[in-house]
Amino acid sequence: MSKSVKKLVEETKDQGYTELDLCDKSLNTIADIPGLTQLRHLVRLTLSHNRITSLPESIGALENLEFLNVFNNHIEELPMSLGSLKKLRHFNAAVNRLSSLPRGLGTASGLEILDLTYNNLNDKSLPGNFSVMKQLRALYLGDNDFETLPSEIGELRNLQVLVLRDNDLIELPKALGNLSRLKELHLQNNRLTALPPELGKFKHHSCADSQNYMTQDGLCSG
Amino acid sequence: MPVQNEIAAPAGYGIGNAICAVCQESFGVDERMVNSNGQILHERCFVCVQCFQPFPDGLFYEYDERRYCEEDFQTLFAPCCKQCGKFVIGRVIKAMQANWHPDCFRCEICNDGLADSGFVKNAGRALCKKCNADEKTKKTGRYVCRKCHTYIPEGEHLMYMGEPVHPWHYNCFSCNKELDHLCRKRDTELYCLRCHDKMGTPICGACRRPVEDRVVHALGKAWHVEHFVCAKCEKPFYGHRYYERKGLAYCETHYNELFGDICFECNKAIVGDVVNALHKCWCVQHFTCVGCNVSLNLRSKFHEFDMQPLCKKCYEKMPLELKKRLKKAEQTAGSRK
Ligand SMILES: [Zn+2]
Ligand SMILES: [Zn+2]
Ligand SMILES: [Zn+2]
Ligand SMILES: [Zn+2]
Ligand SMILES: [Zn+2]
Ligand SMILES: [Zn+2]
Ligand SMILES: [Zn+2]
Ligand SMILES: [Zn+2]
Repeated sequence: MSKSVKKLVEETKDQGYTELDLCDKSLNTIADIPGLTQLRHLVRLTLSHNRITSLPESIGALENLEFLNVFNNHIEELPMSLGSLKKLRHFNAAVNRLSSLPRGLGTASGLEILDLTYNNLNDKSLPGNFSVMKQLRALYLGDNDFETLPSEIGELRNLQVLVLRDNDLIELPKALGNLSRLKELHLQNNRLTALPPELGKFKHHSCADSQNYMTQDGLCSG
Repeated sequence: MPVQNEIAAPAGYGIGNAICAVCQESFGVDERMVNSNGQILHERCFVCVQCFQPFPDGLFYEYDERRYCEEDFQTLFAPCCKQCGKFVIGRVIKAMQANWHPDCFRCEICNDGLADSGFVKNAGRALCKKCNADEKTKKTGRYVCRKCHTYIPEGEHLMYMGEPVHPWHYNCFSCNKELDHLCRKRDTELYCLRCHDKMGTPICGACRRPVEDRVVHALGKAWHVEHFVCAKCEKPFYGHRYYERKGLAYCETHYNELFGDICFECNKAIVGDVVNALHKCWCVQHFTCVGCNVSLNLRSKFHEFDMQPLCKKCYEKMPLELKKRLKKAEQTAGSRK
């Protein structure tokens, strides 16, 4: 670990800064950064563009964290304690090596934006309680290995953005039609042969609003 | 006035020429004498003049130089309390053509003690001043001043500390002139009309009447707290955050509903400039790279990643395969435009 990281953490602690940017610091882990998980007042933590393979359970101690960005790392597993970050609103774990998600994730029920793009997630990866995240406004699951989606996804009633492009989806659950606030649905590059009629209803309804956006270029023709 | 006395102690033994104040006879040699308030009595004569019995517990009452036991004294002389029916020994309140224990003389409406605060006769009832004023107002529709307890001419009362009073009991906070009914309240102070006008009372932007209590300054105008409301639902803001649009104020809910500029990042109605990009809106300070959180603006070069902005630096760090796809998608989108 470089000296500058240690210094940044110390400075953040001494000055009471609420944001810490450790972007592109060649970190392999954050578990050995002294004092990092004692920054209780931290609201934003950015760890993008490192080579971190896992996050320590002690990250659950950052009780005021609202933004956690681990974009472009080598993370294979997330800690259960993520669920205890009750204030977490925006979690970006895109471009990592996740093949599963911890059960605790669903209990981070304040999450509004969850970005899991470009990982190794599949049908079995979603924790059973993920539909508890009722505040979720945007769910990014592009570039993963989903073949189907659980119908509980229809319970995320606040969802405005749902990205499912570049998966192996064969069909979509009818419950998707319950997502009445959906404005963006990205479906390209899947193995879909048809959209559920319920979704057609949504499309029709939502197209009246010029802000709505739906891509289905990747729909197979047969 | 009857006097309650302690027992008189034996004064000594017979002296030759002393005579009993009761029976006027002399004392036998060695006969005990009783001294009661300076009178010398036979022990046998130191008894109640009514029942001729010794005084129980030595307690007796003297009236007109004659001694009575408690029971006979009360029967003969002591007043009866109109409220509880018992004798009143000690302080008697004589009021409403009756006698009362001080503690039994109470307002017939609110039951407050009247013995020390005074009372008013109202239709055969003893009332405290406050209840009497209320009764009078109820009956006549006219206010009774809480300071002097007389009627206030119609329309000339001043409500001060929640009670009607004659304005002339008070003086202007500024010029000290005696107030009349044209006086005004400002915060908790009273002012004559002239002084109040000089201070410049703000006029409510909604009802056009002067704002005398709490004033809200917003949209370049003054408002009664309860008149500064959302232009859509008309609910007062009461100090809550409001959003301005074309000279009108809205609550957050209706601002969002009507104008729809909600920041994708913070999910709040955007105040100030709006960044409109990628089919979304952002607060200027919330339009940041999805990869590294660096601030962007519409002139910054950024790539589109699932309709989110990705800065050039972050784009360069993406896996090669992903970079290629992003580039291709951008070209397709570009050619469609
Ligand atoms: Zn007697
Ligand atoms: Zn009594
Ligand atoms: Zn009373
Ligand atoms: Zn004055
Ligand atoms: Zn008003
Ligand atoms: Zn409203
Ligand atoms: Zn914002
Ligand atoms: Zn960036």
